[in-house]
Amino acid sequence: MTSLINNALPSPAETDLTGLVDAIMQELAGLLDQLVTSGEGGAIDLRSLPMTAADRNALKSRLGTGEVEATLNVAGISRIQETGIFGIWWIRHEDADGRVVNEQIAVTQIPAILMAHSDDIAFAREQLTLIIETGSKLEIDPAVQGIAR
Amino acid sequence: MTNSRTLGQQLQQKGISKRAFLKYSAYLASIMALPPSAGSALASGLANARRQAVIWLSFQECTGCTESLTRSYSPTLEDLIFDFISLDYHHTLQAASGEAAENARRQSMQENKGNYIVVVDGSVPTKDGGVYSMIAGQTNADMLRETIEDAAAVIAVGTCAAFGGLPFANPNPTGAVPISELVGDKPLVNIPGCPPIPEAMSGTLAHLLAFGKIPVLDDRHRPKAFYGETIHDRCYRRPFYEKGLFAKSFDDEGARKGWCLYELGCKGPIAYNACATLKWNGGTSYPIQSGHGCFACASPNFWDQGGFYNPLSSATNDMARNLVGAAVTGAAVGAGAAFLARRRQDRQLAASQNKAEDTS
Repeated sequence: MTSLINNALPSPAETDLTGLVDAIMQELAGLLDQLVTSGEGGAIDLRSLPMTAADRNALKSRLGTGEVEATLNVAGISRIQETGIFGIWWIRHEDADGRVVNEQIAVTQIPAILMAHSDDIAFAREQLTLIIETGSKLEIDPAVQGIAR
Repeated sequence: MTNSRTLGQQLQQKGISKRAFLKYSAYLASIMALPPSAGSALASGLANARRQAVIWLSFQECTGCTESLTRSYSPTLEDLIFDFISLDYHHTLQAASGEAAENARRQSMQENKGNYIVVVDGSVPTKDGGVYSMIAGQTNADMLRETIEDAAAVIAVGTCAAFGGLPFANPNPTGAVPISELVGDKPLVNIPGCPPIPEAMSGTLAHLLAFGKIPVLDDRHRPKAFYGETIHDRCYRRPFYEKGLFAKSFDDEGARKGWCLYELGCKGPIAYNACATLKWNGGTSYPIQSGHGCFACASPNFWDQGGFYNPLSSATNDMARNLVGAAVTGAAVGAGAAFLARRRQDRQLAASQNKAEDTS
């Protein structure tokens, strides 16, 4: 029954190209111009767009794959891939169960989530001092291990 | 209880980095239909906020709303909201009981005067002095009045609190009223649903914390981010409605092909909620995707809408009148379908009456 219902999904079919890719490419070009001229980038939330699987594949194919790929373990896995266009990044956040909770294309020199935050660095300095002074090792609360690291 | 350190500082001690804030905020911005750029502002706002004191009052309710929030599918992200708030009073979740629990509520009210948030689930009985639901010797109405006195805002969670819900249904034996009738001019957010979608609750709280103000609301005090569109607007079966393809029963060919459930009583056209986009159980499904029409459980008077399985235009109360502005006026196909469904029901009713008369 469920498969019959799911198979009856309305058009456009997942295999159809809707034309969204061309629109997204134009928007990315505008954001890249902005990044070059003012240093300020932007992002496009892919989950807010009615993209088909075919659209998604076409967009990936047109943007290509770049030099940088990063995997973060923060409240689930996050995958960040620079596309073949410098400054354009494909970011995919999953929760601890592997469900995609956010997917966006960011136009920036480096996605903010990759950078260590200055507050975290200051805290880490205190931790490191403590580790050196006591000869201990870094302890992480197991209750938050999935969220933190 | 709250303390003077920021959320960022408190969670840092637990090993939760700013990256977690950024990820949670990207997720929130996406589900609240905020631009991606709002994610950074949300993260920054949350990291710099103080832990928010929350007093949760449970009146005439079933605890389904609490279950919805605490058993959300994406615990590593949704549970962060429990790190952002100090839940100082909640019957189901607090360890304290009796006078100790009531003292905790009053202590929180005193320490966070003017700044705490009151979350209410359940409606409030007013008949016979409100004796039909009392806590610690206080009627629900008295407890609500006392607790919201110095609150910054009130959040009515679930349809019972927002619109009266089941206790309010005809004949409303306890004289139940929604929270909106008792809060005066306090800022009020309604998050209806039976139960509400967990993201609507956590997203609203996070928005309040990050930006220090309640999100944009509609005329029924619902956050537009979650209640701005109808289930019908975003339903994946909508194209079948437009084509006039309707299931006539739950096991016919149309039902098997996933056609529109309008004629089987689906209230999607008047149901403002996010089930069709956020879905339930981690985006797995929602009632219509499982083959059943929408009850419009987040709408006022949903228990009294003239039958869960009657098409909208067959209803005889406010729900049917609401329909004028919703589905039928803009969709001749739908209106025709409703007319045909009504006629079919009338014929079935007449047939069953004839059969009954023949039998007698």
